[in-house]
Amino acid sequence: MGSSDAMARAVLIIEDDDRIRRIVSITLRREGLEVTEAGSGEEGLARLAERPYDIVLLDLMLPGRDGFEVCREIRRVSTTPVIMVTARADSHDVVAGLEAGADDYVTKPFVAKELSARIRALARRTRASGARPRVVVGNLEIAPQDGVVTRDGEVVPLTKTEFKLLAELAAERGRVLSREELLERVWGYDYFGDSRLVDVHVRRLRKKVEADPANPTIVTTVRGMGYRLPE
Amino acid sequence: MNPAAGRGAHPAVLAPPTAVGAAPSAPRLRSRLPGLRGRAALALTAVAVVLTAAVAVGVWVFATQYLLFQRQSATLGQAVANASLVQRGLPAEGLSRAQLLSQLPRETGSVSLLVDDGEWNTTSLRIGHDELPESLRTAVQEGIPSRQRIAVDGDPYLAVGIPLAGLDDAYFEVFPLRELDNTFRVLGVVLTLSVFAVAPVSAAVGWWVTRPALRPLDRISAAAAAIAAGDLSARIDPRDDPSLVPIAASFNATAAALEQRVRADARFASDVSHELRSPLTTMLNAMSLVEAYADDLPSDGREALALLRSEVRDFERLVADLLEISRADAGNADLVLEDVRPAALAREALARRAVSGRGAVELNVRSDASDVVVRADKRRLERVLRNLVDNADTHGGGLTAMTVERTPTSACIVVDDSGPGVPEAERSTIFERFARGSGSARASTEGSGLGLALVSRHVQLMGGSVDVTDAPGGGARFVVRLPADGGTEGEP
Repeated sequence: MGSSDAMARAVLIIEDDDRIRRIVSITLRREGLEVTEAGSGEEGLARLAERPYDIVLLDLMLPGRDGFEVCREIRRVSTTPVIMVTARADSHDVVAGLEAGADDYVTKPFVAKELSARIRALARRTRASGARPRVVVGNLEIAPQDGVVTRDGEVVPLTKTEFKLLAELAAERGRVLSREELLERVWGYDYFGDSRLVDVHVRRLRKKVEADPANPTIVTTVRGMGYRLPE
Repeated sequence: MNPAAGRGAHPAVLAPPTAVGAAPSAPRLRSRLPGLRGRAALALTAVAVVLTAAVAVGVWVFATQYLLFQRQSATLGQAVANASLVQRGLPAEGLSRAQLLSQLPRETGSVSLLVDDGEWNTTSLRIGHDELPESLRTAVQEGIPSRQRIAVDGDPYLAVGIPLAGLDDAYFEVFPLRELDNTFRVLGVVLTLSVFAVAPVSAAVGWWVTRPALRPLDRISAAAAAIAAGDLSARIDPRDDPSLVPIAASFNATAAALEQRVRADARFASDVSHELRSPLTTMLNAMSLVEAYADDLPSDGREALALLRSEVRDFERLVADLLEISRADAGNADLVLEDVRPAALAREALARRAVSGRGAVELNVRSDASDVVVRADKRRLERVLRNLVDNADTHGGGLTAMTVERTPTSACIVVDDSGPGVPEAERSTIFERFARGSGSARASTEGSGLGLALVSRHVQLMGGSVDVTDAPGGGARFVVRLPADGGTEGEP
């Protein structure tokens, strides 16, 4: 998949364990990514303020400001995709991390080489976005070419992943997309991703685009099947 | 990083199986005695019967003595009065002795006898000289007033003798005691019956009264049973029963200590597992990096790298399994039950296996089992299937078949392999931690040694069971049974 990503993606690794940070950084560089290292949450936020990154790899168990807090801080200032690294696959940590604004997660132990494909998938804007027409749902307008969603003419601040999720649903308007399809299209999972990723992102998306998130009319749930943008 | 962690963990894990098979069956000490409640009721009954019997005997003795005493005073009074009448009437106008006796005032049934100059007169044909005992006659004729119980034709009488003024003269009167005897008999029957009646009544009362008294015991046994079943948070609530407070306090303290220990053990295993994840991440990635240069290595270097890879992979699996089983030990707090179709999960498990490069194995779904639904934790059930498939591939000579079928009450997932099978003697121990079978393929050192233990733990948590038998083709057959939801109607 390297051909469509000729440009080197810039990755920021925020990880306090020196050995992991070094080996992951070496591996990702060998995979053609441009890597910057940060040993603490504060340092990571400082790096992020200096220049934009395409992706942030964030360890949740950081000394001082923990990963959740750092993640919320990143979300306040940027839409950069965040992949959180957790030692615990327990529901609490994963869901709490996603609620804090992370786009994806990996659990230790992970192999950085396999991670690079996911990094590229998340860093990509949208698939074949140029060919996609504008979509208007109620007072919401989705413009895939510009990567912008507006409500009554005002820009809705979506993260890249939230935007991709909405764009994929808009592209197949009226059709139900299963969680697995969405995992593949938005997150680049070939097999068996965690469907909680989709559910938490839909929840986050609804908070931003729906008039009443408890009774969604734009991103609707089709029980047992998936999600749909109604005609 | 501690290099000893990686080195130390492996040999310990691969230690030969200890004699886990010789699990001693607890000796049954339960006696044939009735239960506590039965014994309490029995004791109460015994006490009641003994007390009642004692009271009855007391009543009997007192009542009979008193009645007899009354009767004796009455009869004596009458006899003395009659004797003085006879004494006064003897010298009087020429009444015959018989006439004199017959005129005496007497109660019904009593008989008067008179001895005058050795001649006996009586008012009854049945009672005369011969019926009075010798000792009584002698005593009275010697001038000593006497009385004696006698029996005439089986009927009880009281004979009273009063000496008269003349030598050898005496007046006797014989009173019937039959009525008194009847009274005694009735009294005796009533008292005896009451003693017998007390037994069942007190037994019933005892049984009824001890129920609330022993109810606290039910609470204790319920709590103990809950702990034995694995619910370590079970406690005794003494509520408003002060007698239960001391035992509840000590029981609860014991249970709390046990719970804390088990939780601490589970947390320790979980913490160890988490701590190992960071070094493992570095090891995995460093190894993967070195593997990129494998082609440049000499052959012995490549072999060393292959060994390292295999150990690191095993270590990775051990860490994951250790975490998983410590979580299972910590209780079912994170058990998420939902409606799951075993057929769908089994198909996914086989798809995963195919992705990892193993030969394809088709899933057999018996008719009507395709949409059977069980209440299960999806993640755990996935893990169960993955571990069974891994077990078949690494220890059982390869997976040969996977089947989903349903019985009236459960859904079964059957996993067959082509290995040597599991000997009868090892079938109960194979699900224990770090148990390794003796079969040649099974004794291999691959895997964490926790895979089947996890299968067993997870299946139990979901209310199911797992066991191993022989597959028709000769290998081992693992059968997971999960209680089926009554979702599909009209099924047998």
